[in-house]
Amino acid sequence: MAAPVPWACCAVLAAAAAVVYAQRHGPQETPHVQYERLGSDVTLPCGTANWDAAVTWRVNGTDLAPDLLNGSQLVLRGLELGHSGVYACFHRDSWHLRHQVLLNVGLPPREPVLSCRSNTYPKGFYCSWHLPTPTYIPNTFNVTVLHGSKIMVCEKDPALKNRCHIRYMHLFSTVKYKVSISVSNALGHNATAITFDEFTIVKPDPPENVVARPVPSNPRRLEVTWQTPSTWPDPESFPLKFFLRYRPLILDQWQHVELSDGTAHTITDAYAGKEYIIQVAAKDNEIGTWSDWSVAAHATPWTEEPRHLTTEAQAPETTTSTTSSLAPPPTTKICDPGELGSGGGPSAPFFISVLVTLALAAAAAAAATAGNLLI
Amino acid sequence: MLACLCAVLWHLPAVPALNRTGDPGPGPSIQKTYDLTRYLEHQLRSLAGTYLNYLGPPFNEPDFNPPRLGAETLPRATVNLEVWRSLNDRLRLTQNYEAYSHLLCYLRGLNRQAATAELRRSLAHFCTSLQGLLGSIAGVMAALGYPLPQPLPGTEPTWTPGPAHSDFLQKMDDFWLLKELQTWLWRSAKDFNRLKKKMQPPAAAVTLHLEAHGF
Repeated sequence: MAAPVPWACCAVLAAAAAVVYAQRHGPQETPHVQYERLGSDVTLPCGTANWDAAVTWRVNGTDLAPDLLNGSQLVLRGLELGHSGVYACFHRDSWHLRHQVLLNVGLPPREPVLSCRSNTYPKGFYCSWHLPTPTYIPNTFNVTVLHGSKIMVCEKDPALKNRCHIRYMHLFSTVKYKVSISVSNALGHNATAITFDEFTIVKPDPPENVVARPVPSNPRRLEVTWQTPSTWPDPESFPLKFFLRYRPLILDQWQHVELSDGTAHTITDAYAGKEYIIQVAAKDNEIGTWSDWSVAAHATPWTEEPRHLTTEAQAPETTTSTTSSLAPPPTTKICDPGELGSGGGPSAPFFISVLVTLALAAAAAAAATAGNLLI
Repeated sequence: MLACLCAVLWHLPAVPALNRTGDPGPGPSIQKTYDLTRYLEHQLRSLAGTYLNYLGPPFNEPDFNPPRLGAETLPRATVNLEVWRSLNDRLRLTQNYEAYSHLLCYLRGLNRQAATAELRRSLAHFCTSLQGLLGSIAGVMAALGYPLPQPLPGTEPTWTPGPAHSDFLQKMDDFWLLKELQTWLWRSAKDFNRLKKKMQPPAAAVTLHLEAHGF
């Protein structure tokens, strides 16, 4: 249909011209910014136009149906987030832009969630906050810190916009700290506060660089090392103690070890040949709470390499004398050479000797774990 | 106003002369002193809970955050961070010794007024332990050759029951006494940590092996 297309084309051009005209014609055409609550109803008047003026409304350049109009006013019911945008009303005949509104649909703020923590004791602590549900419109936060009656400065974090830092001036204070936060936006405001003692918020960062290594010639040992968190400023005067937990991947039950000093520990009761997961946590010796668990380290204890007995006259050192002969243990099933298919593949005798070697190695490993251990 | 007569304490005889031959140095006694502060801090937690309940609300409420008024003569643990760091050993030990001397005195005053027999028993037990801590600190100071602090004549603290002291203000004093005591014990742990590190080779690791079920 050829006819509507050029007509639509002209309409678009006219609208574009109107917008350009509006933009060129002074500050009274900059959109009025308006915030409205999600779910509410709003009536947008067309600036100063009379109720019965003939106008057309558009949102972000798209025409709006006339059934939304109440005279020259635009009525929007049950506002949704999708209603946000630039609403413009034009004089119907001249396309003169009468009024523009930038509508933002959002919510007033709920009570913010505020928490403070000292991972750099005794240097200072930080507080961070967030809103439990989004407001969809800009919010401003205001944090105040009181120590008794003294106001302290909370310096904004350079990277995170919902965090600020406070430096301790005095240590070992009996007076509590009170941190208050207020949040406000165009639709409302809210606030909360928390009070705490200097000692209760101490919680270090987890230990760093946790490494677990097998110990050569020791099938039940794992050597674990780690470093004190780099954010803890003074481990000499404020020593940390550590809590180590480990388990084989295949089990759910953790083993725990508490260490009052040092950044290394040797596990001596690992199950041979099983992969372990190991984590470490840190705590100030006297005050505060345990850190989160560190990034996990994985390791498997040292196991002996199986050796080909055809190349070695001696059996491995850790085996008992019963396995030193070449005869396979009675419980190990050896493949009947007659069962092997004909054709491609290793020749039967070679296959048998490989099986024998594997069986002996398995027996050797079993003997090592079941027999006397090197602990 | 809190004040305290503790002539007995100030004239505490010097710790019986240590047998210097084969003396392992002050290290073990610093460790012992450190351990005592931990023990006392643990003991204080239950004692303070009981005592604050005896005082009743608002003193036993966790959010209770009164301004620090009165109780001016209580030794304060709070100290500027840099000042604390740069304390020399002698001053560090002296401050601890003087603080606990005063605190023990006030605690004994508290014991005199305590209403229930159970409270008196707990307080008496705590006072004995605190006396032990004082003796331990004195031992460390003697081992290091520091003189025990002696009060200047005329400034000896005297305990007088304040006649115009209201019941509520008295309870406030009690509250701050317990608070200050707890804070001093935390501070002492840090003080003795610092001393320990300077005097001893690295302490052997204490390994406590626990098997946790269903952890």
